[in-house]
This record gives sequence, structure tokens and C-alpha cells, in this order.
Amino acid sequence: MSFELNSLLVSLHVTYIQNLGKNKDDLTYHLTAHLRMNAIYWGLTALCTMNHREALDRNEMIEYVMSCWDEETGGFGAHPDHDAHILSTLSAIQILITQDAIDILDIDRVAKFILSLQQPSGVFAGDSFGEVDTRFSYIAVNALSLLGRLGDLDVEKTVAYIVQCRNFDGGFGSRIGAESHASQAFVCCAALTILDRLDEVDAPTLSWWLAERQLPNGGLNGRPEKLEDVCYSFWVLASLSMLKKVHYIDSGKLTSFILSAQDPEGGGIADRPGDMPDVFHTHFGLAGLSILGYPGLVDLDPVYCMPAALIEKMGLRKGWQALERRAS
Amino acid sequence: MSHGVRRVLQNKEALEAKKLKDQSKIRDYITLTSDVLNRKKQNDWSSQAFQLTTELLQVNPEFYTIWNYRRRILLNGIIPQSTPEQIRDILAEELSMTMAALKVHPKVYWIWNHRGWCLDNVPSGPGTEQEGDPRGWEKGFWDRELFVVEKMLDADPRNFHAWSYRRIVLANMPIPKPLTAELAYTTRKIEANFSNFSAWHQRSKVLSSLWSKGELDSNKSKEEGASGILYHEYISNSSLKEFDLVHNAMYTDPYDQSVWIYHRWLIGSGDDKDILEREIEVIQSLLEEESGSKWCMESLVHYKRLLLSNHASTTDTSTLKRDCMGLLRRLLEVDPSRRARYEEIELEIARL
Ligand SMILES: [Zn+2]
Repeated sequence: MSFELNSLLVSLHVTYIQNLGKNKDDLTYHLTAHLRMNAIYWGLTALCTMNHREALDRNEMIEYVMSCWDEETGGFGAHPDHDAHILSTLSAIQILITQDAIDILDIDRVAKFILSLQQPSGVFAGDSFGEVDTRFSYIAVNALSLLGRLGDLDVEKTVAYIVQCRNFDGGFGSRIGAESHASQAFVCCAALTILDRLDEVDAPTLSWWLAERQLPNGGLNGRPEKLEDVCYSFWVLASLSMLKKVHYIDSGKLTSFILSAQDPEGGGIADRPGDMPDVFHTHFGLAGLSILGYPGLVDLDPVYCMPAALIEKMGLRKGWQALERRAS
Repeated sequence: MSHGVRRVLQNKEALEAKKLKDQSKIRDYITLTSDVLNRKKQNDWSSQAFQLTTELLQVNPEFYTIWNYRRRILLNGIIPQSTPEQIRDILAEELSMTMAALKVHPKVYWIWNHRGWCLDNVPSGPGTEQEGDPRGWEKGFWDRELFVVEKMLDADPRNFHAWSYRRIVLANMPIPKPLTAELAYTTRKIEANFSNFSAWHQRSKVLSSLWSKGELDSNKSKEEGASGILYHEYISNSSLKEFDLVHNAMYTDPYDQSVWIYHRWLIGSGDDKDILEREIEVIQSLLEEESGSKWCMESLVHYKRLLLSNHASTTDTSTLKRDCMGLLRRLLEVDPSRRARYEEIELEIARL
């Protein structure tokens, strides 16, 4: 592989995503069934970012999503007969909204499932066994907002827990006392943004901490003195876009880093150059490039991590700022 | 989601051979999965079903539904038919089963979750309330758990899940470990590797609670180590004063950001002008030795700005501003990737 990866291989990535569902003679496909709903959301959103939404069959997708609904709890599992979890429930909602099929949903029951996961402390659990994480708080806020049910949420309690997870470095942890992590900065900033409480963020300190995620090779890490990874591109950039500081990152170097993690043979983007691609990093790499204004891509709403035009149409757009889309 | 898996170019024959080999594995996996999921649907709480979940989770520890099912079998089928001693042993068995899984998959949080659930369900014993020691078993389990977490952190001192789990263990131990012991643990971790930001982070939390509980006087422990009842314990665990520890780390590797971030926490909003000026001096002399250290310059700008904003009436503001501008110019050269931020700060200072 001697040629330089200096442009985005759109058609290869589209084919890569289309082929994901056809890998049934690959063991990994079966071992990752517990991530299927998320994977479909990542694939669909990546396609939307590349302006190829139609590359996956819409009806088949909606049918699959609905086959994962758990009548008993009101939430979605990751795959038929898998337990309902807040992670797959948000992905299901995002897919249905992106496919303009949300009417198919029993919104009351889904909202009730999500609200039932809030704990007395204000944080959300992922499922009935009660593991808590500020990630789940964001997911709940995002999902309820998309369903138009934020009014049913105890906002004060939700915000109070998130604020207690704020650390001296400006970042946020997954629970009270936990170390800051770029993905946690994203979920907490985005939850507070949706709830119009971004004033709870120590913006100068957090922007500084986020800017220091960039390494000499252009890639971003998730916390101090760790390795770079394509997926952090999105979490760091999305947080910075809510703080209106995306320009704190060297966009040229980060763009090159993401492009260098593409697989020039089979398509898809990996965590770092030379590694196996997967749909998760493909989606977050493209999402990062979209925020950086990469030419030809579609605007992504960094708060909801969905096509910006869609969020705007729903009247949910908040005051984030990405880099201007370059013409070439 | 795969991390750190290298892409290898395989020729057609190798790929075909792998596919063929996978076929029987896939068949077995699908058969086992549908068997377990069917039993789950039928509320099968038998020990046979339990055994099958062990098998499936050994192949795929990320299958959260199966962890849930396993716990339901324990709760509905196995625990109701067992004596407290048996329950204790069953849970101990769960912990060794998950330990084996953790060694292969240290970052799968479903496994950590399951351990936490087991610990929450340890029955009271060996004695009753009246006989005494009703929490003896629980204590044994949590103590062992702390030991396990420490082993995990020895293997990977930055394991995010292990640190997070450590805090859960510390918060749940029937006989809480003194905060000063945890402070000493972070000292050991930091001294083993100054670059361990996870340990610095934990230290900031421990010191904050010690200060807010009044067990350590914040000014004194920053300056002298410690005071009050815990003085001796603190001193024996850590002879270093807080700032000394930090200076030591700075001088050891001025290019590592962990210690600089922690130093910023120690200084805080910079209300104490003496400390601020003293620290500026320390960093300035380090910068003379390490003229290219971005972190020296970046921190100097930050602390000088604190002097400007908090102590303007008692400092020479025009010199401070000039210093900051000079440092920012050099930062633009040594750290051009973050030039936009430095230029913004220049504008802010110019406006003062
Ligand atoms: Zn990643």
C-alpha cells in the first residue's frame, strides 16, 4: 500500500457499509449481535454523512428495528430476543427518525421505559440491573428530546448529577469521582446543551483540556498521555463545537490522520492507520470530518449525532458551531 | 468496535480456509445461542440453563442479555434453594469465573458489572446479628475485591474500568479503608510512573475529601505534608509534601502533561499570591533548563494571567502582560497546532 490516502474514498465506504449485513459466514458478525442496533445506526448515519442514505434498504431496516422491540419493558434490545437496553433504544429511535418512520413507535411506552431508568441520584441506569453512567443520562435526554417528551423529565435532578461529575480539569467522568474522558465530555456537554444548561460547563478549562487531546501525529486521544484513536475525533470535536472552539484543533493534521486510517482495499475506517476497519470508527471518522468542513460531506448535528437538516427541521437545533464546509 | 487489531492482507486461499474453519464454529455458536435464548423465554431457571450461560459467556463475554439471564437464574432458581453458606460459595465461584474472563478481556464492563452485582448479594454471615460478625463474609469478599483491582491496576495502571471499579469497591467496603491509605496508594502509583494521570486524578479526589472532612488542613498539607490526628500516618506513607511531589515530577519529565494538569488543580483560582509567585519562580527556573518545554510556558501564561486577574493592584501588570505576550509568541512556534488558542489569549491580554 504505497499510495497516499489523501482523499476520502466515499464509494468504497458506501460499499463497505452495504456489505456489513452480508458477512454471515464470518464469526465476528455473530459475536457482535449485541451491538447490531447500534451498528445499524452507525452505518445509516455514516451513509447520511456521505449523502448516500438510500444505500441500505429502508423497509428492511425498519422491520428489523421493530423486531427488536421488547413488548414487556417498552425498550429496544440490540437484536431480536436480546434484553432491552437504553443504548439500543436510543439507536432505534435515531434510526426511525432518520428514516422518517417514528409514527410506527408506541412513544408513550418507550418514553416510560427511558424515564423508569432514572435513579434517585438523578443519573440514569442502562437497564433494569442498574449500572449507572452519565452516558446513559445523555442517551435519556437525547431520546426524550427526539420523542418530544423532555417535559416529563426531572431536569434539575438530571443536571445536578452531571454537574457533580465535573472534574477540576474541566472534563467529566462517567460517575461522581471518575476520571475525565473525551467521550464523557461529549455526553455531558451534549446533555447540558439539550437541556439549555451549558452554563454549568467551565468552558475555558474544558476547551483547553480538549485542545490538548491532539497529538503530534494529528490524531486525538481520550485522556492525557494515551494513544490517538479515530473515534475520539468526534467526541472532542463535537464537544468543542458546542463550546464554539473547533478551531482550537489543527484541522489539517486531524483530517490527514483520519484519512490515513481508511482501508484502501475494502473500505471503512479503523481506529488508527493500518488497523482493521469497523463501522463504529467509520461513522465517527466521517462525523469528525464533517465537523471539520471536509468537502462534499453533509452537515452533522454534533449534539444529537444525526443529520443536521433533520434536527433543524424538528426545531431542536442548538447553538453549536462547526467549521465551514470547504468547496474543495 | 475493534481497537488495535492490525489489518493483514490475506490471500484468497487463506481466506477460504478461514471461512471453512469458521463454519462449524458459527454453527455451534448459533445453536448454543438459540438454545439459551429459548430457555430464557421460557423462564428456565435450572442449573442446566445456568451451565449453558457459562459456556456462552466464555465464548462471548459481551453478550449482556446472557449476563442478565444468568443473574435471573441465580435470583429465581438457585439462590432460593440454597443455604447462606451455599450462596456464599456460589458467588465466590462467580467471581473466579469472571476473573478468568477479565484476564482475557480487561475492558469489558459487563464483566466488571457482574462482579459488582455478586458482591452486592453476599448473604450475611458467618454469624447472625445476635451471634456477632454478620458482615464477616461481606468483608472478606470486598477485601479480596480490592486486592483483585490492585492486581488489575498493576497490569495496566491506566485501566479506566479498573479505576472506576476501585472507587466503587472503596465506597462499599463494610469497613472503609481510611482515606489516608488511599492517598498513600496514589503516592505509590505516581512515584512508580509520574505519567499516570489516573492516579493524579484519584489523588485530587482523595485530598479534596480529606480537606473537606477537616482531616487534613488544606494549606498545611500543601505546604508541610499534613497536620492533625492523621499526621503520623500521613507522614509515614508519604514523606513528600504535595508541591514537592509535583516539582519532582515536573523536573523528571517536563514534557508530560499529567503533572501540569494536577499542578493547575493545586493552584486553583490563584487566590494565594505568595504561592502563585513562588510557583511561577519554580517553573521559570525549570524553563531556563528546558527552554523548549511547552508546558512550562503554557503554565506560566496561565499563572501570570491569574496574577493579572486576581492581584492586579499589587503587581506590576505591564511587566506581566509583556511576559505573557513573549511566552505566547514562543508557544506559537513550539506548538503551532494550537496556535488559534494562543492567538485568542493574546487578544484577551491585549484587551486588559
Ligand atoms: Zn476507538
